[in-house]
Amino acid sequence: MAEVTEGAETVEALERRIGQLRVAVREAVLAGDKARAKTLRAELKRAEQAWEDVLAEAEDAGITQSAQSPHSRQSAGNAGRTATPEQTGPLLPLREQVHEALSLLQVPAAPKLIATVHEAFFATTFPTTRVTSLRRDEERSFRAAPFARPYYICAALAADFLSPSRGLLAVSTWPMERRVIGSLSPRVDFLQAAIRIAEAIERIPAPVPAARRLLWRFAASIPGAAADASHIQPEAVRQAAEAELSVHKDADTRTRREAAARARHQLADTEQLFGTRSFRPAADQEA
Amino acid sequence: MDPTEARLQKLRGRAMPRNHNARTISALATNPGCGRRALMDAAGADKQKLAAYTGYPAPFGQSQFAIVRGNAFEAQVKENGAAQLLSLLREQLRLDITEAHYSDLGDVGGNETSEVRHARTKRLLTTVDEKQGTMFDHPLLRLRVGGRHAYLEPDLIAFQLHGKCHVVEIKSFAVIDGQADPAKVAAAAIQSAVYVLALRDLLGEHKVHDETILVCPENFSSKPVATPVDVRRQLTVVKRQLSRIARIEDLLGCCPDDLTFDLEADENGIPRRPAREVEAAIRQVPANYAPECLSTCELCYLCRDEAHGTTAALGKPVREELGGIEYVRTVLDLARGAAPPPETEEVAAQLIRAAGIRAALL
Amino acid sequence: MTLLTALARALAAETGRAQPIRTVRHVHLCDRPLVLIPLQLAGEACAPLAAMVGDDRDKPRMLTVYEPRDRTQRFDFAADLADVVLGYIDSYTTADPPSEGPYPDAPQLLVPNDGGVSFTRLLSRSTRFRRTEGEYAVRHTVPLLGRWLNFYSERCEAPASALLLSMTAVLADHWATGQSATEDASLASLLGWIDPPPGMTGAAAARAAEDPVRCPPAGPATDPSFDNEVLAVRIAAIRTARASGDGAALHRAQLAMEAALRTQLEPTWELMWRAVGLLRVLPPGGHVQDRWQADRRAFTGHVRWLREGGAPAPRRDGAVPAARKLAILERDAQRLAVQRAFDDPLVLAEYRLTGEAFAGVVVDAQPDRLDTSGKRAKLRPRITVATGDEVVAEPGVKLVSSTRPKQNAVVVAVTDDGPDTRVVLELEGGMGHSLVPPQGSVPAVGETVTYTTLRDDFQPVPTFPEIADTPWTHGGPPSAYVPKDEDATEEWS
Ligand code: SF4
Repeated sequence: MAEVTEGAETVEALERRIGQLRVAVREAVLAGDKARAKTLRAELKRAEQAWEDVLAEAEDAGITQSAQSPHSRQSAGNAGRTATPEQTGPLLPLREQVHEALSLLQVPAAPKLIATVHEAFFATTFPTTRVTSLRRDEERSFRAAPFARPYYICAALAADFLSPSRGLLAVSTWPMERRVIGSLSPRVDFLQAAIRIAEAIERIPAPVPAARRLLWRFAASIPGAAADASHIQPEAVRQAAEAELSVHKDADTRTRREAAARARHQLADTEQLFGTRSFRPAADQEA
Repeated sequence: MDPTEARLQKLRGRAMPRNHNARTISALATNPGCGRRALMDAAGADKQKLAAYTGYPAPFGQSQFAIVRGNAFEAQVKENGAAQLLSLLREQLRLDITEAHYSDLGDVGGNETSEVRHARTKRLLTTVDEKQGTMFDHPLLRLRVGGRHAYLEPDLIAFQLHGKCHVVEIKSFAVIDGQADPAKVAAAAIQSAVYVLALRDLLGEHKVHDETILVCPENFSSKPVATPVDVRRQLTVVKRQLSRIARIEDLLGCCPDDLTFDLEADENGIPRRPAREVEAAIRQVPANYAPECLSTCELCYLCRDEAHGTTAALGKPVREELGGIEYVRTVLDLARGAAPPPETEEVAAQLIRAAGIRAALL
Repeated sequence: MTLLTALARALAAETGRAQPIRTVRHVHLCDRPLVLIPLQLAGEACAPLAAMVGDDRDKPRMLTVYEPRDRTQRFDFAADLADVVLGYIDSYTTADPPSEGPYPDAPQLLVPNDGGVSFTRLLSRSTRFRRTEGEYAVRHTVPLLGRWLNFYSERCEAPASALLLSMTAVLADHWATGQSATEDASLASLLGWIDPPPGMTGAAAARAAEDPVRCPPAGPATDPSFDNEVLAVRIAAIRTARASGDGAALHRAQLAMEAALRTQLEPTWELMWRAVGLLRVLPPGGHVQDRWQADRRAFTGHVRWLREGGAPAPRRDGAVPAARKLAILERDAQRLAVQRAFDDPLVLAEYRLTGEAFAGVVVDAQPDRLDTSGKRAKLRPRITVATGDEVVAEPGVKLVSSTRPKQNAVVVAVTDDGPDTRVVLELEGGMGHSLVPPQGSVPAVGETVTYTTLRDDFQPVPTFPEIADTPWTHGGPPSAYVPKDEDATEEWS
């Protein structure tokens, strides 16, 4: 296939070539030829870019012309209206935003919940993939200079093996009891989070829809918290969550205390924050 | 390494092994008579790659839109200690409010190997009672297929109620006004049955309920809804089919010692072995093609090509209507008056009449 | 599957060409059907992605949803589709419904396959309860489209209806290919067997049609490699352009997405019209018009219902309507089978092979024979038919001939005559009131006739309680379905 010679090809010729390249990419994929698919994909991308450029130039020159059917032109008429300007970028570094959200929740949470909470109460959000890599950065920073920062975004620890609990983040300044996760802890923390969110909503005079939606997502999974999304009272959610919490609280606290003691006793500083991967089973020896 | 393991490894060659999952086992169970698939799966051969390399790319793939949607729905149901799932179970199965435990068996203290995870799954599910365990995420199960163990990594949660485990299967196809695509429900039920079998292997027959719970989005929303599915029939089917899968040792016994599906890839991963040779190697293992293979097995186009001229390629109903005669050629010869062997005399007479009527009317 | 069809499949496999299994067309085909090819986003219950629709081969309308997961755009799609479909339906109802009887013609919808039928049903389900005012309001045509699509997909369950047809189902009913039923579900492959391009066998054409890159699937599902390699990139480009606020770039991205989807729709559009052409060549079966009249009546009834402000059909039927519907379906299926046999000697031949019918030549006839055993003489002609078919009917059994359905033929005697069988039949009815049969009312010597035990006179559908009298065992009388808030505001995401 010929190299792209930008600008030299007409829109029609580019469209033909884009069509051919798409066919070729899919054929390579179906034939299991990953290398070829990759090369072709790159070529396709260049061709599509060239097509964009040619059209953009033509538009700049005021000659709106395209090889599409009349229908497509008409249907794209509302193009300009649907666009929304990009949200203004966040002012705080990511770790501080995560800290803000976790401080509101006061329990270990998954990146998705952290991002949603931040959006609902602090008006900005961030891709969850970035949060995942944040934990690694924090660990590196801690190892390089322990306790140099006032807080670290760290791991929650699985109560049985004191290994990092998959996907949960916590704040290093929290007591160990809060950062270890037994089998009831996900439920307990969920109810705690519901209470925190309800309280936060009560504090602000005019909660944004995103905050109310978040509260509803919690309420829907708590018995007696709310009948439906349109009749939801933060106070009722808080009470319902507290009612269920009282059922689980004691058993969960026992597990957590025991595990926390073990962690403090057995783990080095870094491990206490980021978990251990060397088997250290609970009381019953099994490994 | 035992000799069977060594032979299987030789069959696979240098390629990375592919593991069984509930989908491949239920696919295997739809065509238990196929030694080719049983052997290639046991060896962990990459059938998709082999099919593409020999010029018969499999006619199915997965759209990223479907994958994304499926993952998102599963994550949503399981997030926050499976809060949404818990409400469903409370509503539908009257799960007691105290039972809200959630245990993730996805790793064991950071160790993710199958053996360790399986041991942990076994230990937890056999020793923990309702007061300490309700939902178990990412359990690792094991099932004997063709006389060998296959690990199953279900994306499901087994949960305990009144001393019995239930299998929960999360699928992202919609249940609309209480009804879902029957083909998808059937496929989900078969897969759940595979998990039930594997769980029973672990815990014993009476510890696992034969009613599984299917969690799907309701109507056009992403709100989950749980539907109990009775999989007793599927259990019988899967069990029978699994028992019919030839023992891998026996299948190996029928293959030449030097048989291999290795693509002889060079250091860059580019295969060097001639495609024809690979195809010939695959064809050495007897297959059992049926049109159902088209939606369940990556090798279907290759096998279909091989089955050209058989009545089986036209589908089971056609083959049965034609008296089970194996080749299209034979059918037509008989219809044109060729002398039939004694056992097909009756079919032959019918075929001659049918052909006569057709000829007279067209 | 029947032996004749199985044999035809074997012949097709041998010759590499589909074999006809019918001599006439068993469905009505409008002069101007509306072809609808929907595409939907993989993994979603009913997320329209694009559609090609129209009643003129040269003027397809293409609709595209640039952001298939966006609720507003979905309803915009529904409204655009409504413009086309309702416009088409309106062209059949320019006058008020006739005071008696149905409209002279009815609109017909053609979709490529069973998936197209399901899509129609789901789209109807997600649109027909929507409100046109207040919160979540949609354009007024959206619920109306939903109600029409519901009517069409409900009718489609009736085996005898031709208002909404799945093209692969119709083609597979008329031709046998040398492949399996599974493979026949692909429109392109099926047409490859029936009508291969010059110089190509049907088998080869069908194989070529299996390449998803050159020959896109007929929907509603798109090919995964198209999704992953083309569509995903196009949707991402649209999102990027929208986020950047660059209207011109967004416009270009939309053009590109539409062009990509067009490549997935156009080939099927051509196939649909080619299939229509192939079916048109077949002469219609004798009862096809009767059945179409029933369709026209149903259509006219629905127009009246809508004009009188009737409520939309509920999400699910109550117990009584469901049972009644099932009984009617069963009876209709039987009646359809008999009508098809009478209309088509190749269908009747299936019954000849199982002994439920025989065909032969009249070798003796006594057209003027009178039965004088009673008080008054009665005209009871007798004929003798020689047949090579197997005859299982015994003396005393009443038979009918497909060409004289009003005349009963009672078997008097069955005797072997070498390779043939001779059947003596006594005829009754269908000969007027005099004692001399009119010309042609009694089969003459030398005429080829077919007699069968199949009958076209059916028991009426049992009466069901009125809806208000639904027994408590069936849930008691259901309250009439009134669309609720929930119906109007239900998520469609
Ligand atoms: S496609 Fe071939 S290998 Fe796969 S199950 Fe069918 S016959 Fe066996």
